[in-house]
Amino acid sequence: MKKILIQNGTMVSTREGTLVDRDLLLENGVIQRIGRGLTDPQAFRVNASGLLVGPGFINLHVHFREPGEEHKEDLRSGSRAAAMGGFTSVLCMPNTQPPVDEPMMVRYLHNRASEISIVNTYFAGAITRSLQGVTMAEFGLMKEAGVPALSDDGQCVMNSLLLSRAMEYSTYFSLPLILHEEDPNLGGGGQLNRGETAFRMGIKGIPSSAEESVLARDLVLGFHSGARVHITHLTTALGVELVEFFRKQGTRVSADVTPHHLLLTDQAVEEIGNLAKVKPPLREKKDIQALKEGIKRGIIGILASDHAPHSTEDKEGDFNEAAYGISNLEISLPLYVQSLIEEGVIGWVELWKNLSQRPAQLLGLSRKGELAEGMDADVTVVDPDTEWEVRVENFQSKGRNCPFDRMPLTGWPVTTIVGGELVMHERNVLLS
Amino acid sequence: MKWVHRHLLGMRDLNAREIGYLLDKADGYREFLDLAPKRKPVLEGYCQLNLFLEASTRTRVSFEMAGKLLGMEVVNFSTNASSLRKGESFRDTVRTLARMKADVFVVRHQSSGVPEYLSRFIPCHVVNAGDGLREHPTQALLDLLTIRRAFGYFSGLTVAVIGDVLHSRVARSLITGLVTMGSRVVVSGPPTFAPPAAASLGAEVVFPVEEAVAQAEVIYLLRIQRERQDAGFFPTVKEYSRFFGLHRLPLKDGEKRVIMHPGPVNRGVEIDSSLVESEASLIEEQVTCGLAVRMAVLETLVLEGRVA
Repeated sequence: MKKILIQNGTMVSTREGTLVDRDLLLENGVIQRIGRGLTDPQAFRVNASGLLVGPGFINLHVHFREPGEEHKEDLRSGSRAAAMGGFTSVLCMPNTQPPVDEPMMVRYLHNRASEISIVNTYFAGAITRSLQGVTMAEFGLMKEAGVPALSDDGQCVMNSLLLSRAMEYSTYFSLPLILHEEDPNLGGGGQLNRGETAFRMGIKGIPSSAEESVLARDLVLGFHSGARVHITHLTTALGVELVEFFRKQGTRVSADVTPHHLLLTDQAVEEIGNLAKVKPPLREKKDIQALKEGIKRGIIGILASDHAPHSTEDKEGDFNEAAYGISNLEISLPLYVQSLIEEGVIGWVELWKNLSQRPAQLLGLSRKGELAEGMDADVTVVDPDTEWEVRVENFQSKGRNCPFDRMPLTGWPVTTIVGGELVMHERNVLLS
Repeated sequence: MKWVHRHLLGMRDLNAREIGYLLDKADGYREFLDLAPKRKPVLEGYCQLNLFLEASTRTRVSFEMAGKLLGMEVVNFSTNASSLRKGESFRDTVRTLARMKADVFVVRHQSSGVPEYLSRFIPCHVVNAGDGLREHPTQALLDLLTIRRAFGYFSGLTVAVIGDVLHSRVARSLITGLVTMGSRVVVSGPPTFAPPAAASLGAEVVFPVEEAVAQAEVIYLLRIQRERQDAGFFPTVKEYSRFFGLHRLPLKDGEKRVIMHPGPVNRGVEIDSSLVESEASLIEEQVTCGLAVRMAVLETLVLEGRVA
């Protein structure tokens, strides 16, 4: 394996919370040395002058659609999109066809990923078999097969007793539960946020209470079970308050948001149409404000993306029939830069912690999430200044369902290194 | 010593001296059971009524044999033929049976607390043969006898109780008895089965199972009922066996270690089949000790127990 020397860059130290000028020497899959003025004639040199160099991003919420819907995405295309987005590790949600709900499937996908994925690819195991919310899946056996977390994402575990037992049981294996909060009864067949836009458009709305009521329930269950719970794609102002309240009570809870819930309101549905159809639905201005405040105050400590690629046909036509989801993996960082850095909500170090250190901790990836000698050589290099325009036709992802097409953005990853291998450099994917 | 109790309702009522007294007597019966003939009719002329309102084979047969070996007339009351099905109240049924002048009622019921309830108005001795999830004192006594005969002492011994502690009257009685006798008890299993409240009986909850096993000289496995899987306490029998079952007994610095189980055993679930009949297994000895303990309990209550 070739050595890589990253020179002249500004290193983001998530451990120290600082930006410092440091060079990095990567060898044998680990960070060999960190220092100033490092040289090595044999190493491949990456000139990071004017660039930020930090631990590789870890995205704990992506849909790579394999197995079953490879026309929307597969592990190859999804991982290439991840590399473009600066993500060195991803956690795939288990709502595939069939779902990832037993150890054999986990093993199969690991084998498959080792063949065609160019980033570290992890798989969440289902909480309930077939994601049907009826019986608990084999947490222990799936953990042995490699799952770092559990989720029924796409579905909400509505049986409170079952979820309560699953939470208790999960503590034995130290597996976090990533919870999708949506009461389908309250959702009542709605298609976008219930509010003025839905009313004007004459389309059934999904009230924020559909998310908040089960969120509150799950925080109560988490409080009593002692389970490690993570609320994914949090979208509402009240939700932020609930998370804060229960964390103060000692609940082991963290939360993430998506870039689209920080940038778009439900009005985007009127303006953009089907491409802005997503679950949970885009909310309102006050919710965006509260989410940003929650990020600023550390209540929301993880940034994910809920990358949900779909084929063009799935997103076309009748709004009521169109699929939910946004393809955003390769532009998540610049979208976060736009919504959080340019708005002055948080700085680069905090942004980077949200994208690497904290997801690594949640998933128990102890050799990732920080740059230090001996840690895994997963590194992302970001150009904080140059502006590029989003062009969905250039996406590595098969999913072109993106409401941000043609948007000019800054803060793009320019180099992605996974396990000491360059997988993306100067905005080109290098490995196939 | 003077036996002050009229009934045997639970281990919670017995102190260490009383337990020791019953175990001494049971130990004698255990030796006696290796002889032939085994009849010792010290209770000739007395009558025992087995009132089993929940399915049981081992315990009922064990009590029946114990009574008969002691010379008692033993009558079994079966639920199916009962007038409970004809709409008579439970209280009236039991009062009617009591008027038939049994000297001792051996009661099993699916509800916690029923033997205690009966003991308040039944004019004879009541032996709890298992009530709901609460107590099963003769099981605990037979386990204690088995342990005492294997080790000779209780104090300084650590017993690991593994499995469905939550739904186990065996576990509750055993923990209570062991703690009274000075042993240390650790409980483990899936967190859904090993609640923090076990501490209120004096046990420590220890995870993972391997750690609890490593600390103990006696590994006591509880039976896993498959219906608990459907109720969502654990996902599958396969997973249960992999993470919470006992597959081997690591040696502990040459110390003696034994395996116990109240039966019936689910081979390959809570315990590997090869361990059931291994040298370390006391599972079959527990059964014989059960008979001895029940003889000791019946004799003590009928001949020495306080009368109303």
